[in-house]
Amino acid sequence: MIVAENVEKRFGDALVLKRVNLRVEPGEVVTVLGASGSGKSTLIRCINGLEALSGGKITVDGHDVSTKAGLVAARRASATVFQLFNLYPHMTALRNITLAPIEVLKLPKAEAEARARALLDKVGLGAHADAYPQQLSGGQRQRVGICRALAMQPRYLLLDEVTSALDPEMTGDVLRILAELAADGTTMVFVTHEIEFARHISTRIVFLEQGELIVDLPTAQFFAEDGGLAVPRIRQFLSKMKKD
Amino acid sequence: MRFWRVIEPHIGFLLQGFALTIAACLIAIVGAVLLGALTASMRSSGNRWVRGAANAYGDVFRNVPFLVQLFFFFYGLPELGIYIGAFETGVIAMSIAGGAFVSDVILSGIMTIDTGVIDAAKVSGLSRVKIFTRIVLPIALRVSVRPMGSVLINLVLTSSILSTITVNELTGAAKIVAATTFKPFEVYAVLLVLYASLTTLLSFAISATHRRLNRFMMGG
Amino acid sequence: MRYADFTPYDIVLLLQGLGVTLALFIGTTLIGLAIGLMLAVVHHYRIPGCRPVIVLVTEALKNSPVLVQLFLVFFGIPAFLHIRMTPVEAATLTISLNTAAFAFVVFRSGIESIDRDQIEAAQVFGLSRAQILRLVIAPQAAAFSVGPLIGILVNQLQVTSLISVIGVFDLTKIGNILNLRTLQPFIVWAVIGLIYYLAAKTLAHAGSRIEAALRKSVKWGGI
Repeated sequence: MIVAENVEKRFGDALVLKRVNLRVEPGEVVTVLGASGSGKSTLIRCINGLEALSGGKITVDGHDVSTKAGLVAARRASATVFQLFNLYPHMTALRNITLAPIEVLKLPKAEAEARARALLDKVGLGAHADAYPQQLSGGQRQRVGICRALAMQPRYLLLDEVTSALDPEMTGDVLRILAELAADGTTMVFVTHEIEFARHISTRIVFLEQGELIVDLPTAQFFAEDGGLAVPRIRQFLSKMKKD
Repeated sequence: MRFWRVIEPHIGFLLQGFALTIAACLIAIVGAVLLGALTASMRSSGNRWVRGAANAYGDVFRNVPFLVQLFFFFYGLPELGIYIGAFETGVIAMSIAGGAFVSDVILSGIMTIDTGVIDAAKVSGLSRVKIFTRIVLPIALRVSVRPMGSVLINLVLTSSILSTITVNELTGAAKIVAATTFKPFEVYAVLLVLYASLTTLLSFAISATHRRLNRFMMGG
Repeated sequence: MRYADFTPYDIVLLLQGLGVTLALFIGTTLIGLAIGLMLAVVHHYRIPGCRPVIVLVTEALKNSPVLVQLFLVFFGIPAFLHIRMTPVEAATLTISLNTAAFAFVVFRSGIESIDRDQIEAAQVFGLSRAQILRLVIAPQAAAFSVGPLIGILVNQLQVTSLISVIGVFDLTKIGNILNLRTLQPFIVWAVIGLIYYLAAKTLAHAGSRIEAALRKSVKWGGI
């Protein structure tokens, strides 16, 4: 379980996250919605420890991410897929995926590679195992990024706007994979602009407005007239996104 | 070609000197890269004293003439009871001087690395050491082939200074040949062309290496 | 050689050595920059036959050890031309040419970096080649060139230490003398090193001041 308690994050004078409270239970797919700059990515970066908290506490399976040991354990339990893919440019797709399992999980090379190839096959990139990131399209790189995350067999998958840098054609491929993962029961925390998709796969939706978590509802309720849509800001946000 | 007639009988001796030059440069570049990588990682440390010491080393050894550095070690080490040969002393001095420049090269290389890539490495649980050795350093080195090549070329030119502490590398050997033949103009002219050709060849090799290593790294 | 202590007179020796080093450095810098500039202008004017010769000679000077160049000039030329040459003369000639080679490259890139469009505009307005060079290219090229030039000059300052090998009584030579007399290599060479270090830092600092002043005077304004 991921628990964020009264999380605050300050960048200089700006308070980017204000007393955010969030719980993610195993098996849930939680989507974080919000306008640009609302703090969505920052929240993910606080959960995986890339940003240090200015206040409050985050625990992953009970491990406090602000402690050294806790962070190590939290990072073992979770894996992140990034908006800009962040693949290691000097390594093949296969090596990108096997690096952490070999170095961190201490898997033998053969087992790590077998696992990697199976993942690549699942996402349709079996033939590209020896390609370098530069030789792959954006959608392919993101799929490798997903494999890299899954190779660690994380309990929680953190997805930071993973389709925002892709064109519509490639977005579909990636979303399909994510839908499969959700259906398989993977716990996901999903920051995205893809509202329709979120509606389709999420169990719960939370809305961040300028750093504050103003709504936290099960999906159906979020999109209901007497639920999320009753909040004017959310109504406004959803209609704007629909227009785009 | 009178130049050739002057040099010809002494080719063997000159080649011996050349071999020493190559040996010195090869060992020194390895030493410089090791020292430079260590210094670069120290310069990116969070600790003020570690950073300061590394920066001071680079600063000092880039702003003091190599000849002075060489004399410092050549005359100084025996005072400490360290008795090593002139060649060894020269190679050590070249490594230390080279390391100062290499650390600059590596640091610039490190700065070109996308922070996102480091984020991905951190989040996957890799230790700081592993991140440096598996991700940061390999990428930085690939990107720095050209500037690193410049350092190597500089080392080749600097190696000639070892002749002042009795090392008979190429320049040292040439000095002896010039004295023996009483034809310093011919000998040193040939020597100059030799060094220039060597560095030009090295330049081509470096460009080719850069292209080969980076063929998959172009673009974003 | 008798082991002897340092004396206050040694300070005078050091200053003398420093004086020789600085005098030589400044002299060769001025001569070298002038020659380098001339070469860059000749190169720019595309005088037939000159270009390849200039490039070949400057490349040879840049890509060979300065020590070898010093030996060639000090030992080689007098033997070849049957003339006499003092160490100072040889040192001045060698370092000046060496500096000129590096300066040429910097000036050439400075000149070449000026947009063709500007030059064409000036030509269309009827300015002569010389006027274009003087009024359009030079001021901008100068601002670009200062940074790289300072780097080269700081390096040339280090290079001057090699003239001690052919017998010039510069700072390094004084170091050799003191080292031999006092047998205290750590102190001697650390002090010599420190003096060179301070000189290099002063030069670099002066250079950035000049660069800042030049950039201000070449007002970029709006493009």
